[in-house]
Amino acid sequence: MPAKPDALSQNDSNSSELVQGTLEMLILKTLALEPMHGYGVALRIEQISHGVFRVNPGSLLPALSRMERAGSVKSEWHATENNRRAKYYQLTAKGHKSLARETEQWQRQTAAIARILEAQL
Amino acid sequence: MFRDETTETGELIQGTLEMLILRALARGSMHGYGVAEWIHQTSQQVLKVEEGALYPALHRLELRGMLSAHWGMSDNNRRAKFYQLTTEGKKRLSAESQRWARLSAAVAFVMQAS
Amino acid sequence: MDSGLHAFSLRIKMLFHKRRMDREMAEELEFHQTMLREKLAGQGVPKSELNKAARQTFGDAGRWHERLRELWQFRGLENLLRDISFSARLLRKSPGFTTVALLTLAIGIGANTAIFSLINGLLLRPLPVPHAEQLVVLQIQEGDPEPGYNFSSPLFRGLERQHTIFSNVFAYFEGAPLQVRGRTGNQEVHGAMVSGQFFQALQTPPLLGRYLTPADDQTGGNPEGLAAVISESFWQRWFNRNPDVVGRKLIIANVPFTVVGVMPKRFFGVDPTQRPEIYVPLSTEPILDAPFNMTGGGIHANWLKVMARLKPEVSLQQANAALIPLSMPVVREQVSDADWIANAEQTHFHFAAVSGATGFTYLRALFRKPLVAMFAMCGGILLLACLNLASLLMARSAARERELATRLALGATRRRLIQQLLVESLLLAFVGTTAGLAVSPLVSQSLTTMMLRGYFTGYIDTSIDMRVFLFAAATSLLATLLIGLVPALQATAGNLYDHVKNDRHSRPTNVRQRMIPRILMASEVALAMVLVAGAGLLATSLVRLYRTGLGFDPKGLINISFNMDKQPVEGAALMQLYKALANGLRHLPGVRSVSWEQVQPLAGMTETRDYQTSFSKGDREVYFNTVAPEYFETMCIPLLAGRDFRWTDTKAQGKKIILNRAAAKLLFPGQNAIGQHLLAGDKVSYEVIAVVGDAHYSSIQRAAPAGAYVPIPQSEWKKMSYTAVVRIDGPIAPLAAAAQSLTARLAPTIPPPVMTTMDSVINDSISSQRMMALLSLFFAGCALLITAIGLYGTLAYATARRTSEIGIRMALGAKRAQVIAMVFRQNAWVAIAGCISGLIAAVLASRAMASFLFETSPHDPWVLFVSVAVLLMIASCASLLPAIQAARIDPILAIRCE
Repeated sequence: MPAKPDALSQNDSNSSELVQGTLEMLILKTLALEPMHGYGVALRIEQISHGVFRVNPGSLLPALSRMERAGSVKSEWHATENNRRAKYYQLTAKGHKSLARETEQWQRQTAAIARILEAQL
Repeated sequence: MFRDETTETGELIQGTLEMLILRALARGSMHGYGVAEWIHQTSQQVLKVEEGALYPALHRLELRGMLSAHWGMSDNNRRAKFYQLTTEGKKRLSAESQRWARLSAAVAFVMQAS
Repeated sequence: MDSGLHAFSLRIKMLFHKRRMDREMAEELEFHQTMLREKLAGQGVPKSELNKAARQTFGDAGRWHERLRELWQFRGLENLLRDISFSARLLRKSPGFTTVALLTLAIGIGANTAIFSLINGLLLRPLPVPHAEQLVVLQIQEGDPEPGYNFSSPLFRGLERQHTIFSNVFAYFEGAPLQVRGRTGNQEVHGAMVSGQFFQALQTPPLLGRYLTPADDQTGGNPEGLAAVISESFWQRWFNRNPDVVGRKLIIANVPFTVVGVMPKRFFGVDPTQRPEIYVPLSTEPILDAPFNMTGGGIHANWLKVMARLKPEVSLQQANAALIPLSMPVVREQVSDADWIANAEQTHFHFAAVSGATGFTYLRALFRKPLVAMFAMCGGILLLACLNLASLLMARSAARERELATRLALGATRRRLIQQLLVESLLLAFVGTTAGLAVSPLVSQSLTTMMLRGYFTGYIDTSIDMRVFLFAAATSLLATLLIGLVPALQATAGNLYDHVKNDRHSRPTNVRQRMIPRILMASEVALAMVLVAGAGLLATSLVRLYRTGLGFDPKGLINISFNMDKQPVEGAALMQLYKALANGLRHLPGVRSVSWEQVQPLAGMTETRDYQTSFSKGDREVYFNTVAPEYFETMCIPLLAGRDFRWTDTKAQGKKIILNRAAAKLLFPGQNAIGQHLLAGDKVSYEVIAVVGDAHYSSIQRAAPAGAYVPIPQSEWKKMSYTAVVRIDGPIAPLAAAAQSLTARLAPTIPPPVMTTMDSVINDSISSQRMMALLSLFFAGCALLITAIGLYGTLAYATARRTSEIGIRMALGAKRAQVIAMVFRQNAWVAIAGCISGLIAAVLASRAMASFLFETSPHDPWVLFVSVAVLLMIASCASLLPAIQAARIDPILAIRCE
């Protein structure tokens, strides 16, 4: 599948990528836990997925700004723990709603794929 | 790629189409329409394969030697192109399934975090 | 990759079954739609709505079909085809550039291929016989640095029986042409004398009949008589390919030989530069060479080339190891002269073998160095042509910056663009190579003719075989990369986005980007400088060769050779004939004087003798000639003291000798030689009657050696052939006819005399120097032309792109002279930097030249100075033109164009 930007690249090579939607869902989920700066989001996703996903800043930042434009996140400038200025992102009400919708969708689809993979030979 | 019939933004999981096609054909040789129908039915109408993606995927797999193709007669006695899994395709299917398991598990980890 | 290979083979199938596969794709998609329609109908969709509904779910079948079709195509191939037609269109749009590019490439690649085909024909091509790699050439090692390649018959006959390491050992001799009786008397035919195992070793079956075997190589021939084998071309010429030729008689040297076989055209023995027409057994040499007899010369006549075929399991190394212990036993068995054996033991005499897969020819030793030098020059020209085209392409692609940047912005990858630019140079290289290949046979043939002038039976097969073809292909590929890669990388590098944004007159600020074309042009100037300096040195050397004092005056000097071998008179009667011929010649119109000589100076043959005097401290080697009275007058060699020979200086009057100044100094140091006596090797005493000026004898390059002359009437030989030397005023043509009829009248039985001018003898003797000098001058001219085109072209492009800038400068008050200086300066620095580095390179490279030069220092300051001057002048002319054009820019027009 050519020409789709690599949103999440996996640690192992030759991965089929997850599309925009999945990345945004993961970002929404992470931000739902607590407001965070972009680097923190990347770090958290990598941590929780046990290193399976490594978020590439080249796709993270565009995704965040797209979500900001769509109104599912909002941002503020804060100082970090080590006194650097960083842009902190926070989920909006709309964001919470779309997280719920996408989570439901994801679960439905993985369930469907599981049915297919487990279907009788 | 997929059209999820229940939502508007259907395209969610990319890169699984080839795996699903290979899985469909693991049951025996089938024509393209049969593959699409089987995926649709088995996923309980959740996953709908776009025809515009199905045939390029089938032909790409054929070119890569994952599938072999022959012309045969369909149930309603029409000439149809049937696809069949090759050894190479079987290997690919098992690799893809394993990868998918890892990938979806990782997403699940993230989604369950609190 | 396996799946890649799979896809490749399927796509190939697609290429051949395009229509069927296309139909099947349509059918597959149609089937799907049919199934959909059936399903929809089952769901109760009304018949009238069916098609519409199916299309809604299915989408645009035409688009899906197109997508499948793309999948099955070779994307690379289709792109390539598109690139080729695009490049061809671009090249057609600039015919000036294309013509220059094709011409320079055709010259460069054609010349290289021509020289390579010569090198291939002379040095590389294996003999066309089975398992040529098993063939070896045998040598004699006697402690000299140079091994000997000439064997005497006894040593060869000893070796011939050695079969421990060799399957066959054979010798051959290609001497004087054979006299074969045809319908109109004797004719000269090129022949080879070969030993018994010659044909067995070369393993080439005859076309007709049989080849010669050891049974034929016996004194008196095989029991049926003397046998001969002929070549296919001789069979054609003399027997019109008549199949009953086997068994026919050929009269060679007045003796009947039976034709036993015909060898096919591809067979020519072992010397790739010869094409013998008749092969006769080596044992018939005394018959064919009469009155001479090399076989009878025994151990003292070294005349045979010996080769062998190794047994399949024996390596060259093993053969050499085995030859050492085998050598002295062969010598002891074959040689009865105890002194000879003792000397051989002392010098560690032994045989050795070197690879003979490419056969053996003495021309190799002669031409290897000049050929390699010429190859280097040609390589230089090709490199120059490539650098030049690279600079021109770069200048042109700079003009195409916007086009390329736009394409890059529209999503073309850099690789695609580089591929397209490379295709352009590939196209140029391909057409250039084709043109070069078309002209190279002409070039190599004329080079061969030039080289082989004076080698009458020489032949070099310069035909284009696989090796030459691969060479040309590799060369043109290299040229493609040289021409295209740097400009392509440069044109697509950098921030191209800026070029789209900015207007076309914005200057790229990247320093490196501006430096590359200048460095290319400077190296071009440097390379041209090296070639010009080299050509200058070779030409100077050639002029000095011609100008060098020969010690005699070659202008208006004619040699007429008479062959007295087969006519009846001898001794005093023959002397009378020579006198009569001289008198006849003297009275021909335009003739000033006539004399006779035994050895023609500078023609390649020499004779030396040892003399001693009470002052000479032993034997001294002196070049020797037998001449008639008036010789020195005719040759214009000054008589320094004493008197000339007379016809009356016979043996009875006491032996007389004339020395040249060098010989007088060698034999009578600090003495007056006139009237003194000297002893020849055979203890005969000679009286010195005159001292004459030194004259060149063996070659022009070597200084005039010590020389001695004895008078013809004193010669020990009863039947000697002499050459008349004739000094004439005016044209030679009337003399030729007159000399012919004079000979026919005075000596009707001898063959027509052979006439040559001394000038042509001299030209032939330095033919390889002449060829090198002429070629290098030609190459230097090409180099200058190419460099001038490059300097002009790149500057003209650069200036054209600065039109508006120059216009503004002029509107702001810049003078025309200032504009000229500004543009000119750009190239001036390039030219000066190129000249300096070229000068350094020329000085460094000149050491390799030294061996080709005669009385010319490889650092000759005048040559180097003139080369620099010529290059600077050419560079100035090439740079001044664009500068003047720039100064003609009308500021108003230029600015309005903005």
